[in-house]
Amino acid sequence: MKKIRVLVAKPGLDGHDRGALVIAQALRDHGMEVIYTGLRQSPAQIAQAAVQEDVDVIGLSSLSGAHRTLFPKVLQELDDRNASDIPVIGGGVIPSEDIPYLLDKGIKKIFTSGSSTELLATYIMEMIDPKTSSKKPPKQISHIGIAVENIDAALSFYTDSLGLELEAVEKIESEGVKVAFIKIGESRLELLEPLNEKSAIRKFLDKKGEGIHHIALEVGDIRTRLQQLKQQGIPLINEEAKTGARNSQIAFIHPKTANGVLYELCQHEGSDD
Amino acid sequence: MPEKKNDLSQKNQWEHSVAETLKRFPEREETFTTSSDIEVKRLYESENYPDDVSYPGQYPYTRGIQPTMYRSRFWTMRQYAGFGSAKETNKRFRYLLNQGQTGLSVAFDLPTQIGYDSDDSMSEGEVGKVGVAIDTLTDMETLLDQIPLDKVSTSMTINAPASVLLCMYIAVGEKQGVPLEELTGTIQNDILKEYIARGTYIFPPKPSMRLITNIFEFCQENVPKFNTISISGYHIREAGANAVQEAAFTIANGMAYVDAAIEAGLKVDSFAPRLAFFFNAHNNFFEEIAKFRAARRIWAKIMKEHYHATDPKSWKLRFHTQTGGSTLTAQQPDNNIVRVTLQALAAVMGGTQSLHTNSRDEALSLPTEDSARIALRTQQIIAHESGVADTIDPLGGSYYVEALTDEMEQKIKEYLDHIKDIGGAVQAVEEGYMQREIHQNAYEIQKRIEKEEEIIVGLNKFQLNEEVNPDLLKVDEKLEKSQVECLQDIRDFRDQDVVDKILAELKENAKDSEINLIPTILNAVKAYASVGEICNVLREEFGEYTGI
Repeated sequence: MKKIRVLVAKPGLDGHDRGALVIAQALRDHGMEVIYTGLRQSPAQIAQAAVQEDVDVIGLSSLSGAHRTLFPKVLQELDDRNASDIPVIGGGVIPSEDIPYLLDKGIKKIFTSGSSTELLATYIMEMIDPKTSSKKPPKQISHIGIAVENIDAALSFYTDSLGLELEAVEKIESEGVKVAFIKIGESRLELLEPLNEKSAIRKFLDKKGEGIHHIALEVGDIRTRLQQLKQQGIPLINEEAKTGARNSQIAFIHPKTANGVLYELCQHEGSDD
Repeated sequence: MPEKKNDLSQKNQWEHSVAETLKRFPEREETFTTSSDIEVKRLYESENYPDDVSYPGQYPYTRGIQPTMYRSRFWTMRQYAGFGSAKETNKRFRYLLNQGQTGLSVAFDLPTQIGYDSDDSMSEGEVGKVGVAIDTLTDMETLLDQIPLDKVSTSMTINAPASVLLCMYIAVGEKQGVPLEELTGTIQNDILKEYIARGTYIFPPKPSMRLITNIFEFCQENVPKFNTISISGYHIREAGANAVQEAAFTIANGMAYVDAAIEAGLKVDSFAPRLAFFFNAHNNFFEEIAKFRAARRIWAKIMKEHYHATDPKSWKLRFHTQTGGSTLTAQQPDNNIVRVTLQALAAVMGGTQSLHTNSRDEALSLPTEDSARIALRTQQIIAHESGVADTIDPLGGSYYVEALTDEMEQKIKEYLDHIKDIGGAVQAVEEGYMQREIHQNAYEIQKRIEKEEEIIVGLNKFQLNEEVNPDLLKVDEKLEKSQVECLQDIRDFRDQDVVDKILAELKENAKDSEINLIPTILNAVKAYASVGEICNVLREEFGEYTGI
């Protein structure tokens, strides 16, 4: 397969290139060809380089706060050269409130401080070749969800009798549940306790009593995978991923295609295929 | 570790210097005591003192450069600040001084740092973003309005156009009626680390080194209390170097400046006392402390033994510290307060002369006023509550810290030898040697973090499901427009003939490497020539550095 060509560029006057250089190196280690522009490139120079080098994707890095002005300018300059088909992604010190603005202007994705280079490489590979992820099966059982009436009462069996480690307890107000994660090998048991009457877990408990509620499969780019499942005609409870516990993105598959089992797809930040 | 019996004459010398120091700087308390009323002595020492450790204020200064250290005066609390317009920044400065800050530190925006005016096309989107926008003397007058330059010392993070901003500072001082010889402060003026790590270079190395030695010479004669350079490891560390590399590359750069000044005909003791350093305080607590102690010792030995400086002031490595910006996480930003506290404590235990503590929100944007205040309070708590400043070098004699200091000194020396073999720091920079070493280390760190071999709390362990959306400081997008308008007004009102004449003179003088350019730049600044106009004249003569 042809190597993916990436232009890593520093628009504006910002001299912080540690991130750009580290990313360039990481993408090379993932088998991509990376061209780094060096510092102080104008949007026109970047667009020109992208066209000349015939790159598949452009990565912009800015830590000076000029991203709101300069990132859209790069898109404009690409458009002027009939090259708006080259996807542009960005990163650096970018406040989360600026991200919707940049995405709205046509930047494909913003990777902020703390993003992993693995995740970035996977993202680029899947963007350039969307079939990449479908070839890969989900990599493991992330967790098994167990509906309980009361986490505090249920915990002792897991931690004292079985000797497992309680990893975290958190409330997910949007779902009306409190969850406890119990670590077992690389997977987790997730105890789910309803917080209110409207909670899906409350309804489950009323109907079936305590017991296994769902099985969660760890996946890479959840959005791409949901699209693929949809195209294959698999009924989904959530067509869009939503935020779940432990900073994950989750979506449920309807149990009618899965032998009555409720499956959750979940992607943790920093996770990849 | 070579050990010898406590050298009485060294001890006598120290005691004598303490007596001298106390006349000028009495100690903060008559007696220092712990909460249980145990008296805290000025210094704790051992019978078997290695020569290399010596006494505070005594060569080779392992235990600090002053005989009484923080018993007399705390370090200077100097928070780096600047954003938007000169007026806004002036307001922040006055706020910080009111809150008990003891020195100023100016952050300039990128166009100013790279010698472009706010209306230059290169400046688009950058005006006022990472610091204050300064185009002409008018902006500098606003920036320093109601700040008494005879009382407050000012540090300016400015490198390639350091001469221009220094001249503006001098001109404001004159307008305030402060004699030049009373102005105190520091200009960063360290171009080598710009090529290596920070990126705000303009001219190629050779003319850049000329401007630097011009400043040394001018200040030695006219502004003798100003630190003419702040040789900076901070940004080298931020770019990904480890502690040894930070210290080694900084000292190698320092030697390159000393060499350049000597080559320009200056006597080492005439400028070396005004050299200052600037280090990073990173996460590994004891390693950082050992780094500061080792750097001090090596510099003293180099100045005395290699350059044959005879003035003890030339031997002393005085340094500013900033806590490590790249150690801050965007995730769970309040955790950064704890990181900063530990890093600041390391700087204090390492004997820093001044300190900037980062704010918790700096992985996301410039700090808000609240965050900046907590950062300052962190220093004040260390100073006034922890008691660590009550005795000199409290970790001196620790088996671990002394061994680590020795080992770091050894490793730093190995790097220095290697750079010497390459042909010195300027050559090593031009060949990209330091850049490669730093980049390699940065990449290794990233891989270790991703493999969770290195734990960053909240980033790759103990994560939270959080909405990262604290209140952030926003620079007004309209600022760029008003700054440009203001600059145009000044161009309209100033005497253009005078400006043209001085700039032409500057161009002529730039051609002759024997001429010191600072007096002409000072005249240009006083005639309200802009940073960009002055730098453009020099660009025409010197050319531009374009990286390697």
